Amino acid sequence: MLSACNINKSFHSNGSKNQVLNDISLDIKQGEFLSIVGRSGSGKTTLLNVLSTLVQPDQGKLLYNNDDLTQMSDSKLNRLRQADFSIIFQFHHLLPYLTVLENTLLPFMGSLKPASKKLNEKAMNSLERVGLGKMKHRLPNNLSGGEQQRVAIARALVKSSNVLFADEPTGSLDKGTGEQIMALISELNQDGLTVVMVTHDPDYANLANRTIRLEDGVMI
Amino acid sequence: MNILTIPLRNIRRRPSRSLLLLIIFTLGVMSIVALYQVSLVVGHSLEKKLSAFGANIIVSPKTETLSISYGGFHMGNMLYEVQNLSLKDTVQNIRSIGLQDRISVIAPKLVSMTTVADTPVALVGIVWKTERSLKSYWGVDGAFPSSAEQLLVGSKAAGRLGLSPGTSLTIMDHQFTVSGVLYETGNDDDTVILMDLATLQNLTNRPDEVSFIEVAALCSGCPIDDIVGQISKQLPNAEIKALRNVVNQRMASINFVKRLVFAISMVILITAATMVSLSMISAVNERKKDIGLLRSLGYGKTQVFLIFCLEASLIGAAAGLFGYLSGFLVSFKALEFLTLAEAGTPTFSFVHLILTCAIIVLVTILAAAYPSWQGARIEPSEALIAL
Repeated sequence: MLSACNINKSFHSNGSKNQVLNDISLDIKQGEFLSIVGRSGSGKTTLLNVLSTLVQPDQGKLLYNNDDLTQMSDSKLNRLRQADFSIIFQFHHLLPYLTVLENTLLPFMGSLKPASKKLNEKAMNSLERVGLGKMKHRLPNNLSGGEQQRVAIARALVKSSNVLFADEPTGSLDKGTGEQIMALISELNQDGLTVVMVTHDPDYANLANRTIRLEDGVMI
Repeated sequence: MNILTIPLRNIRRRPSRSLLLLIIFTLGVMSIVALYQVSLVVGHSLEKKLSAFGANIIVSPKTETLSISYGGFHMGNMLYEVQNLSLKDTVQNIRSIGLQDRISVIAPKLVSMTTVADTPVALVGIVWKTERSLKSYWGVDGAFPSSAEQLLVGSKAAGRLGLSPGTSLTIMDHQFTVSGVLYETGNDDDTVILMDLATLQNLTNRPDEVSFIEVAALCSGCPIDDIVGQISKQLPNAEIKALRNVVNQRMASINFVKRLVFAISMVILITAATMVSLSMISAVNERKKDIGLLRSLGYGKTQVFLIFCLEASLIGAAAGLFGYLSGFLVSFKALEFLTLAEAGTPTFSFVHLILTCAIIVLVTILAAAYPSWQGARIEPSEALIAL
């Protein structure tokens, strides 16, 4: 479903080139739970960003259902991010001035057309699923870190996307809350959602069907 | 919940910043509206005052002229088929034109020749009230006539005829007294004897007749040609002439006021727009994280651009509304302060209110366009550094 072929990515700073990803190739199957592990600076997050189309690789191909995403126009990539891909960041990133419900509906608020009743119901179902149905009118500042991350997951759920990219989703949470979040992600994967997750924690990595390890930008 | 929710909520999130921006822009719009309203009243008042320095339209009977020369000797032009105007009909027709509210003064005149002490002199019959409002620059040695038997004599005519205030003289077998002698004006008034129009009409047995009529029209807001055209239509048998140099001089004074107000308004508007622009630049920098998140959720550049522009335009619309209303109210106080309250009253217009809001929204969008576009151009990868 999602294939990376010979992906290379480097960043330039202070005149020097830093090769972050070196000839990475991998295939992710529909419904798979893939974890990416490695030390800090090994290129895990960059690989996740390349796979989720947020960062363009310098070289290589990224195929999604046989479409080369590196050659795709901006508007098509936007549609893909809106419909097929969901991303959860380490620090959940909710818009602090929108309520829990509005943050959940954010992917559908890009036009002047108001979100339909059906979408509102779907958003409420997503919030119920992550256990936040009663907090829909709260602002993110009034939620705990775990609750905020659950809102981010609800936002991913409401899109009915194919792939969930998670960048250390438990990184900023305590152990107990982290376990709750991981249980939720595993449950979503069991329901058929493809999950690609970057993590430091070997216990959480073990929940995946497959784990890849990166070291200095190379897959080992 | 739609794309408007994001800028609306963000405005609410930072009430002090939004309020400050709103106050700055409202003050700007208020100043412009107040200046505009005051300039309208000042312009109108100025034009009315300027109309006291002479007419700008002459209505006279249509005449045919014949140039007489023989053997290379030119003997001047001969006027024939001269028919005086009817005072009542002509004034009525002038007062009935579409732009009648632009007519400030109508000053009819009847001209006749007579001899005083064997010296030929022109008699001009006028309506004292209208003539004096048209020629506020007149000054007299003595007094202005207060009855039909009193005359005003031009300075040169008085010298030639040996007349002074209080002198009695006989004109067409009727006894008159000179109430005053005009100070030198430098125009035709210096060489004539001025008297009551009705009296001269009776003396010359030309009831209701006038030789020509001077009209002072207010030309701001409509060109003189429109007024002349409408009078011509009403008076097809009369010749209507616009004194363009007079019109141009007056309009130059009024246009100066308008240009001054426009220039000041532009400075205020540019300053306020710069504030909006700076505020949006800081908003874009502050919200790189938000931009990154929106882009990761599939928002395109246009949508991000729209969010920032909508935010600015919401503030612009509110500033336009509050600015117009407060500017309108402030203009009353400003006119009072300038002791111009008697000169006129500012006029409220819904069309102007909507137009003001539309212009201010457009200005805020233009001011916010560059920073918004800069924000929209931020690539998700760039914004991800902030995430």
